[in-house]
Amino acid sequence: LNGHRSSSGDVARTKILLLGLRRAGKTSVQQVLFNNLPPKQTFYLETTIRIVKHAVDTVIPLEIWDCPGNVTVETLGIPLSQISTIIFVIDIRDLYNQPISKLVEFIVAADQENPNIGLEVFVHKAEKLQDDDKIESFRQIQERVSDRLLDISPDYEQIQLNFHLTSVYDHSLHEAFSRVLHKLVPTLPYLEELLNVFCANSQSPKAFLFDIRSRLYIATDASPVDSATHNLCCDYLLMLNSFGPLYKSIGPGRQRQVSPLTPPPSASSSTLRSSPSLSSSGKTSPPTTPTASTRDTASRKHGKELFYPSAATSLHPATPGTTLTYHLITPYLALLALLPTNVYEGRRGLLEYNVVFFREGVQEVCETEREARGGG
Amino acid sequence: MRKKVLLMGASGSGKTSMRSLIFSNNPASLTARLGATIDVEQNHVRFLGDLILNLWDCGGQDAFMDSYLTTQRSTIFQQVGVMIYVFDVETREMNKDLEYYRDCLDGLRQFSPSASVFLLVHKMDLIREPRQPSFEKKRKELQDASGEGTVSVFGTSIYDESLYKAWSNIVHTLIPNASILSKHLTTFAVACNATEVILFERTTFLVVATSSTLPDIPSTASSLGSDTTDGEDARGLDPTRYERTSELIKAFKYACSRVREEFHSLEMELYDFTAILAEMTRNTYVMVIVHDPTIETAALKLNVRMARRKFEELQGDSVAL
Ligand SMILES: Nc1nc2c(ncn2[C@@H]2O[C@H](COP(=O)(O)OP(=O)(O)OP(=O)(O)O)[C@@H](O)[C@H]2O)c(=O)[nH]1
Ligand SMILES: Nc1nc2c(ncn2[C@@H]2O[C@H](COP(=O)(O)OP(=O)(O)O)[C@@H](O)[C@H]2O)c(=O)[nH]1
Ligand SMILES: [Mg+2]
Repeated sequence: LNGHRSSSGDVARTKILLLGLRRAGKTSVQQVLFNNLPPKQTFYLETTIRIVKHAVDTVIPLEIWDCPGNVTVETLGIPLSQISTIIFVIDIRDLYNQPISKLVEFIVAADQENPNIGLEVFVHKAEKLQDDDKIESFRQIQERVSDRLLDISPDYEQIQLNFHLTSVYDHSLHEAFSRVLHKLVPTLPYLEELLNVFCANSQSPKAFLFDIRSRLYIATDASPVDSATHNLCCDYLLMLNSFGPLYKSIGPGRQRQVSPLTPPPSASSSTLRSSPSLSSSGKTSPPTTPTASTRDTASRKHGKELFYPSAATSLHPATPGTTLTYHLITPYLALLALLPTNVYEGRRGLLEYNVVFFREGVQEVCETEREARGGG
Repeated sequence: MRKKVLLMGASGSGKTSMRSLIFSNNPASLTARLGATIDVEQNHVRFLGDLILNLWDCGGQDAFMDSYLTTQRSTIFQQVGVMIYVFDVETREMNKDLEYYRDCLDGLRQFSPSASVFLLVHKMDLIREPRQPSFEKKRKELQDASGEGTVSVFGTSIYDESLYKAWSNIVHTLIPNASILSKHLTTFAVACNATEVILFERTTFLVVATSSTLPDIPSTASSLGSDTTDGEDARGLDPTRYERTSELIKAFKYACSRVREEFHSLEMELYDFTAILAEMTRNTYVMVIVHDPTIETAALKLNVRMARRKFEELQGDSVAL
């Protein structure tokens, strides 16, 4: 039906703006999430002086705009109507007027040009403060923003503004960005339903569909997300991503015959990696010979012939114990699920069957999404 | 069997930090809270079989150092298996550090002439790339200060795998018959059709022995991980894979402990290889790496189960002398 697409240049990308004063941490957010920059290395980032657009391919194609601190609605270059979400980054210690004025300016403009725009505020570098101060500063920033908005017009009481506490040094950034992303994925209800079905059929108390490279979760089942489980899944993915290249043989070895297409290298520049030891630990899944493409409808129909990496780690040697499983679903996405260890060990066949069913469902949803964007 | 390990170096050089990473599974971020060590903190760590490491973390403030070298001299320096001397790469008092270091060497010569000496150029993460030239310069300086004796110099940082490389080498010198373990691991690897088998100590995840090559016994006494080729085999596996594996597993173990879970085992079927990581004996974990795609993790797990007894026995032997 549809041919291969080597370049996705003309795909309609969902645009996300990263705004905020200089040194608020915008570039750090972008680099840590999408370029696997180790958090400590953000120290060496230089000030952004022009808008830098980063194409990110995940369940939906994104374009993240890393903006310099002095950008305004006028100098942005495109109308806000073309933007899906604004993420405004404020340093948590920056309680003064300047960042808040800037934020309010954008909110007012967005409200006029594009009332549907997503408005997210990352109260950033949160790990710098002790818990009490952190909560207090977080509250004050929210209060000041809403006071300023109400001064302008009482109508702003209705406006939907989401605040998140974030830091590149822990998982809060990943969790916050995941929540931002969820609002942008039109097929989210279908993915959630597939996860619900998977959980019910596999006795899994919790399952996530993760974007492999960024470690953002795209969807999860209906049970509530607790941060501890989310963090553990993020760490697990980080470990698996790092193992891949570590034992990859470059000598003449036997390869898996068929494997789904691996994602192309990230579109964003990677010149910032300066430390070999630190940056290599951030490398993602191993590149491989792209012998078949899941984007290709024909090969997808023969999905069973493809090799999909998987992994499992058992926690708690005691019964019942928990096993954390990993199954590649598409070139970008992986299913991470918690399972009772006895289910994992005793009912492997059933589990594999449920994974195949889930995979086919997700691939179909992704295909539909791609076609809707005119990209596939 | 007990082995005494001295941790020496100026105050703030990072001795307690590295001890808390390697032996207590704490993350690097928590080390900022450590206070200066007062006098000597002794720890016993059951390492392998009957091998007990007796760690002496010696607080590095001048007053303590002076006392180690005088009134406490024989207590500190007798029956030492290994002395690890830590130098902060950014120290502004290198001459003073070297002077204390030379005095400690004298103490060792007097009371434990057969002790091995490891020098760690620590906090390498503070040096901007390329790090190799600054490291080489330090290494030369330290070698000159060490006189005749052979010393091994490693560049380390608590923020990357280099610490595991150095410590794996250190404990390796304390396991008398590691080569026998290694021989049997090789046999085991052949039985599994494995590319490589690695034996880790259970709590530290330091490398005890490997099937193909031993953790390099530092003969050239230089190592920084970034450009060394030791450990690289014909298949071109990553030369830093052992220490990186230690680091990755330790980080994941810590992640598990934060959610009050305990890491138990791991299996992976990835594009290029299949691997399992499982308990081998009471105090070791084994990692089996296979590049043959026809071999299943279940078969590997079975092999490990069957090899357990043998390794339990061997391990007892290897340290009993
Ligand atoms: N950048 C960096 N800092 C480190 C490293 N290792 C330790 N530190 C920091 O160095 C400081 C001092 O570390 P300690 O471990 O207490 O030093 P110590 O050698 O035990 O000092 P005394 O007990 O007084 O002898 C801590 O704030 C650590 O966080 C490292 O590899 N890199
Ligand atoms: N403590 C802390 N520092 C951060 C965090 N995120 C970024 N930074 C630091 O903030 C500084 C400015 O970051 P940068 O991304 O260049 O800001 P930008 O100008 O908004 O793009 C850098 O020194 C980063 O290391 C964080 O979560 N915590
Ligand atoms: Mg100390």
